[in-house]
Amino acid sequence: MLRIGIDVGGTFTDVTALDAATGRFYIHKLPSTTDDQSVAVAEGVRAVLRQADADPGEVGYLGHGTTVATNTVLESNGALTALVTTTGLRDILEIGRQQRPDLYDMDADKAPSLVPRSLVHAVVERMSAEGKVLTPLDEDDIAAAVDRVREAEPEAVAVCFLHSYRNGDHEREVADRLRAALPEVYVCASAEVAPVFREFERFSTTVVNAYVGPKINRYMSRLAERIRATGVPVEPRVIGSSGGMMSLDSVSRYPVTTLLSGPSAGVVAASHVAGQAGFSNLITFDMGGTSTDVCLVRDGRALVSSQRRINHRPVRTPSLDIHTVGAGGGSIARVDSGGALEVGPSSAGSQPGPAAYGRGGVEPTVTDANVLRGRLNPEYVLGGALAVDYAAAGRAVDSVARAMGADRSVAARGIGRIAAVNMAGAVRKVSVEAGEDPRGYVLVAFGGAGPLHAVEVAHEVGMSTVLVPPNPGTLCALGLLVTDIRTEFAKAVLEEADERDPDKLNEVLHEVYESARGWLASEAPPGADTKITGEAKMRYARQNFELSVALPQRVIDAARFDSGAVAEIVAAFHDLHAKSYGFAHRDARVQIVEVQLTAAAAVDKPELPAIAEGSESGEALIGRRRVDFDASGPVDTPVYDRTGLRAGTVLPGPAIVEQLDTTTVITPDATARVDRYGNLIIEVEQR
Amino acid sequence: MKTLDPITVQVIGASLVTVAEEMGAVLRRASYSTNIKERSDCSTALFDEHGKLVAQAENMPIHMGSMTGLIDSLVASELTVRPGDVFITNDPYHGGGTHLPDITMVKPVFADGELIGYSANIAHHSDIGGRVPGSNAGDSNSLFQEGLRIPLVKFATMDGVEQAPLAFIGLNSRLPQERRGDMLAQLASVEIGERQLREVHRRHGRETVGAATAYLLDHSRKRLAAALREVPDGTYRFHDLMDPSDGPATAIAVAITVDGEHVSLDFAGTGPQSPVGINVVRPALEATVYYALKAVLDPGIPPNGGFFDAVRIDAPHGSIVNPVEPAPVTARTDTCQRVADVVLGALAAAVPERVPAASHSTVTYVTFSGECDGDFFVYPEVVAGGGGARTTKDGLDAVQVHITNSSNLPIEALEQEYPLLVDTYELIPDSGGAGTHRGGLGVRRDVRILGDSAEFSAHADRQATRPWGLNGGHDGSLGRFIVNPGRDDEHRLPGGRVSGVQLRQGDVLRVESPGSGGFGDPASRSPERVREDLRNGRITEQAARDLYGFRSAD
Repeated sequence: MLRIGIDVGGTFTDVTALDAATGRFYIHKLPSTTDDQSVAVAEGVRAVLRQADADPGEVGYLGHGTTVATNTVLESNGALTALVTTTGLRDILEIGRQQRPDLYDMDADKAPSLVPRSLVHAVVERMSAEGKVLTPLDEDDIAAAVDRVREAEPEAVAVCFLHSYRNGDHEREVADRLRAALPEVYVCASAEVAPVFREFERFSTTVVNAYVGPKINRYMSRLAERIRATGVPVEPRVIGSSGGMMSLDSVSRYPVTTLLSGPSAGVVAASHVAGQAGFSNLITFDMGGTSTDVCLVRDGRALVSSQRRINHRPVRTPSLDIHTVGAGGGSIARVDSGGALEVGPSSAGSQPGPAAYGRGGVEPTVTDANVLRGRLNPEYVLGGALAVDYAAAGRAVDSVARAMGADRSVAARGIGRIAAVNMAGAVRKVSVEAGEDPRGYVLVAFGGAGPLHAVEVAHEVGMSTVLVPPNPGTLCALGLLVTDIRTEFAKAVLEEADERDPDKLNEVLHEVYESARGWLASEAPPGADTKITGEAKMRYARQNFELSVALPQRVIDAARFDSGAVAEIVAAFHDLHAKSYGFAHRDARVQIVEVQLTAAAAVDKPELPAIAEGSESGEALIGRRRVDFDASGPVDTPVYDRTGLRAGTVLPGPAIVEQLDTTTVITPDATARVDRYGNLIIEVEQR
Repeated sequence: MKTLDPITVQVIGASLVTVAEEMGAVLRRASYSTNIKERSDCSTALFDEHGKLVAQAENMPIHMGSMTGLIDSLVASELTVRPGDVFITNDPYHGGGTHLPDITMVKPVFADGELIGYSANIAHHSDIGGRVPGSNAGDSNSLFQEGLRIPLVKFATMDGVEQAPLAFIGLNSRLPQERRGDMLAQLASVEIGERQLREVHRRHGRETVGAATAYLLDHSRKRLAAALREVPDGTYRFHDLMDPSDGPATAIAVAITVDGEHVSLDFAGTGPQSPVGINVVRPALEATVYYALKAVLDPGIPPNGGFFDAVRIDAPHGSIVNPVEPAPVTARTDTCQRVADVVLGALAAAVPERVPAASHSTVTYVTFSGECDGDFFVYPEVVAGGGGARTTKDGLDAVQVHITNSSNLPIEALEQEYPLLVDTYELIPDSGGAGTHRGGLGVRRDVRILGDSAEFSAHADRQATRPWGLNGGHDGSLGRFIVNPGRDDEHRLPGGRVSGVQLRQGDVLRVESPGSGGFGDPASRSPERVREDLRNGRITEQAARDLYGFRSAD
C-alpha cells in the first residue's frame, strides 16, 4: 500500500510517497499551479507513482495541505458575502474592538470588513444572555430580509445573531430559509461554525468562513475529480489548522478551519520526527523566503489556540498556536534614520529575490549576507540548479555597509545577527506567553532557511539543542503522512462551576460529545483507533481570560460530570492558575466558559527509515571554505554533503552541511551528531 | 577594555525591549480587571540604574514615560531600598502615574548587591474608592473625592507581600478581590522583569549592557533629530477649546518652536486649572506631547529617555496643563486629547502633508453601576468615535485615537455580567465631516437598564466644540448623551461630564460619540466615493445633495 502526502506552497508543490511494505520514501517537487492548485497536485501524484513504479490502485491514503483559504483572504478575492444579523447591531464587524491598527502611524488602515456595509441586513430578533427569546423572529421581516439578500446576488451569506452560542434557534431558522430560497448560495450560521461567546470574534469567524466557502468548495470538487482521474481510489483528506485530517465534506462545511493547513503539517511532521528521535518538548522553526513560523510543542502535542487572526481579522476556531514573524531569507536590510540596522519585515520574496540569485534583486537580503559570509555556497545552491551571483550580493550589502559606516563583513554579520534576534524574539514569545522556559526545549529547524540560522537562534534564546530533520525542505509533505484524523468541537457554557448543579454543563457536554461521536462515525476509517478527549476553558468569575483544564477521561467517556467531577476540575483550575501566574484564589467563584472536545482517529504512522551507520565523516567531506561566524573573522571550515553522512558520525563545529533543499550551519561552539534516522542533533554550548 | 561591537550593543538593546514586552504579557494574562486584561490599559518598562527609561512596552500612549517620575520620587524619598523590595504609588502629583486608578509598581533590581536598574509597570484598576464607583467621575472637585491616594509605600520585601498596604487598598475599593488579583499580577510582572534584566546582565556583563542602554537612548535622540531636520524652522501656534463646565470654556494653546534638531513647546495662553477633574498633571502632559510628536514626526521612534530628554515643554503654573494639588485629575484624558489636537494643529502649518483633520479626540468614558443579586456592579466602557480624515484618504470609523487605544467590552460579555442590554451599537451616518476625504464616523450605543435601577456617570468632551476640519474640510459632529431617545420623556444630558444620573428599569441611555473633521473641499470628492458612501449608508441622501452637490442621477 502506498501513502501519499501533497503539500502545496506558494512556489512548489511537494509530494512524498511512502511504500508501507518496503518503508521506502519517494519525493517529488514540482512548481505549484497558482490558478488551480489541484492541477499540480494531480500531476505530482502521477509523477510520484511513476517514480515508485506503482499502480494508482495501490494508493491507500492521500493527505493534502492547501493554501487556498489563506490566499483567498490574503489576496481579498473571496466571495461577495452578505451578512444577516440582529437588528440594532449591524456594525459589529465595522466597529470590531474599536482599536486603531497602529498606535502612532496615523496613515494605517483597519482591515476592511469582508462584507460591504450595504450587504448587511438586520432582522428583528433578540436572545438574552441566558438564551431566552426576548424578541421573536417575525415572519414578514424574514421574508423581506431574504428578498434583500437575493437582490444583492451574493455568493455567500453569514447569519450571525447575538447570543446564538446559547440558543441557535433563530440563526438556524433564518439560515434554513436562506438555503431553501437561494440553493446556489453558500450559507453558514455562527452557531454552526463557532458556537463560542464574544460576538465580534464569532461573527468575524463566520464571515471569513462564508467568504472563503464558495472558492474552497469549488476547489475541493475539482481536487476530488482530478484525483479520481488519476485512478487513485481513495478520496483525499485535508489537514486543518489544528493539525488534524478532515474529509472533503468537513472542509466544505468549515473551510475556515483550513486557514493554517500548510504550516500545521510542518509542525505535525516536526513533532513526529523529533518524537522518534526521543524529543517531546520542541519549538518548531520553519524559516522560508519571507517569514518564519514558530510553534511550541509540549509533551509531543503542539499548543492549540483559538485567538488567531488572519489579516487582522479574528478567527475563533482552534488552530495550532503558530506565531509568524516577518524574517526570512528574502528579508531586506536597511539602516534607519537613527543609524540602527533593521532587517525585514519587507521582503524581496522570490521575485525579484535576493541580489545573489540574479533575478533582478538589488536590495540587500539575509540570503545575500549568508552568501558573503560563506555560510551559503558562494557559487550555486539547490544542488547546482541555481547559480549564485557573489558580486551582486556584495554590491547589495555594501549599500547597507556605507550607511552604517562599517565594512562589508561587519554589515553582513550584522544582518545575520539582527535576523536571528528577530526570530529569537518569536521563539521567546511562543514560550513565555505559554508560561514555558524555552531553555528546556529543542529547536526543530526546517524550511529552506531554518537550518542556516537555527544554531544562532538557539544561542540567542539559550536553548542547547537543535534538530535538523533529513529533508527539511519537504517536511510538510511528510507531515501529511503522519497526521491523525482529528477535529475539535467547542461550545460556550458560561456557567459557574457548581458541584451541586451540573445540569447545564452536562447538557452542553452531551451535545458536544454527540457532535464529536457523529463526526468520528463518518470520518474514521473502519477499525481505526478512535478517541475523544477534551478540556474545559475556565476562569474566575468576571476575569476575562480563560485557562484550559483537561477533563477527566471518565467524564468524557460517560459524556457526563459525575459526583465530584466538577470539584475535581475546579481544583485543577486553581492549581493551573497558581502554576501559570503564581497565585490562585481558592475561595473565589470559578466559571466554565467553554467545553471543547477533540475527536481523533489514529492513522498508522510509518517508522522513519534508519540510515547506514559509520563514524567517519571523510567520505561526506566535499570541500572547505572560509566561513564568517563572528567578529574574530572567517575561519577555514569543512563542507559536508548531507547524503554522505552516516549514523553515529560526529561533526564538531565549525562545519557546513549542504543538501539539495537546505544548508545547515554548525557554529564553532556547537557540535552535531547524526542519529540513526539521519537527523542532525546539534548541541549548542551556552555562554 | 574590549571594544564594543555596535551590532551586539543594538542586539542587547532589542532584548531589553523584549523584556518589557514579556512583562506586559505576564501582567495581562494574570490580571483581573477588565481594564487591564481585555483593554490592555497597562504598560511595562525597564529603567537603568540612574532612573532613565530604557525600554517601554506601552499599550496606551498616555503611559509613555509616565512612570519616569516614580523613580525620581523613590530616589528622593527617605525610604530604605533593599534587594527584594517592591514599591507602589498612585499619587499623580508625586510620580504615581496620571490619575488615581492607575497604580504604578516598581522593583529596584540588584545583581551581586549592586543596583542595576528598575522593573516597573502601571495598570488601570477598576475601582480605587472615592465618591463614585469606578473612581472615574469627571465632576469631582478635588483629588480627595477621586479615590484613595496611595503615597509611595513598600508593597513587598524579600519575605513576601506586605499585608498592610494590600489591606488598606482592599478596604478602600468597592472590589477588593479584584484589587488583590491585579496587584499580584503587577507583582508577577515586575518580578519577571527583574529576572530577565539580571539574565541580560549575567550574559553580557555590566559594561556592555551600559553601552547598550546608552545606544538605545542615543538612537531615539538621533531619530528625533533626523525627523526634526525635515521640519522647516519656525514657531507654529494653534489653539482649541474644551467643552465648558460651569464657567467659560477653557482654551488649550500651544506654540511649537522648531529650530534645527531642537523642539520646544510652550502652552502659554492655556486657561486656568479646572474645578473639575480634567486637569493634566505633568507626566500626562509629557506623554501626550511625546505621542503627538512621534505620530507626526516619526512613528518608529523608540519611546525612551533619549527621546523624552530632547523635548522641552513649558506649561504655565496653575493652568489646566500644570495644575496645583489637590486639583482633581481623573478625567485628564479628555484634556490630553485636546492637547494632542493642538499639537497636531500647530504642526499642520509646518508639515501640512502629514497631519490629519481633528479626530473625535475625547475618551467618552461611561460607567453604569448598581446592584444585582446582592452584588455591587460597576460596568465601565469607552466608546470610540471618528478618526480624522487624512490628507490622502478618509478617516477611520469608530476607533480610539491619540493617547488611548482601549477596546470595548463585547456585548455578550457585558450582558452576561451586568443587568444591562445593548439595543443599538452602530455607526452614525453623516457624523464624519464632509471633505475631499471624509471624516470617520462616530458611534451610537443604546444601553437599556434591566435591573430595578442603575446609576450613570461619565466624562466626555467634544459635546460643545466640534472636531475641526482642515483645508476646507467640514467639522465632524458632536457627541451627546440622551436619556430615553424617541420617547416622551426624552432628554439630553447637560454635557459630557456627569455623575449620579439615576436610571430606572426600562430606561435607555444613548451614548453618541463625535465624528471627526474632513480634509479638503467636499466639492472635490469624487462622485464615485460619494455614491459608495451613500450606498453603504455612511452618508444620507440629504448630505450627499447638500454637502457634496450629488444628484441621484449622477
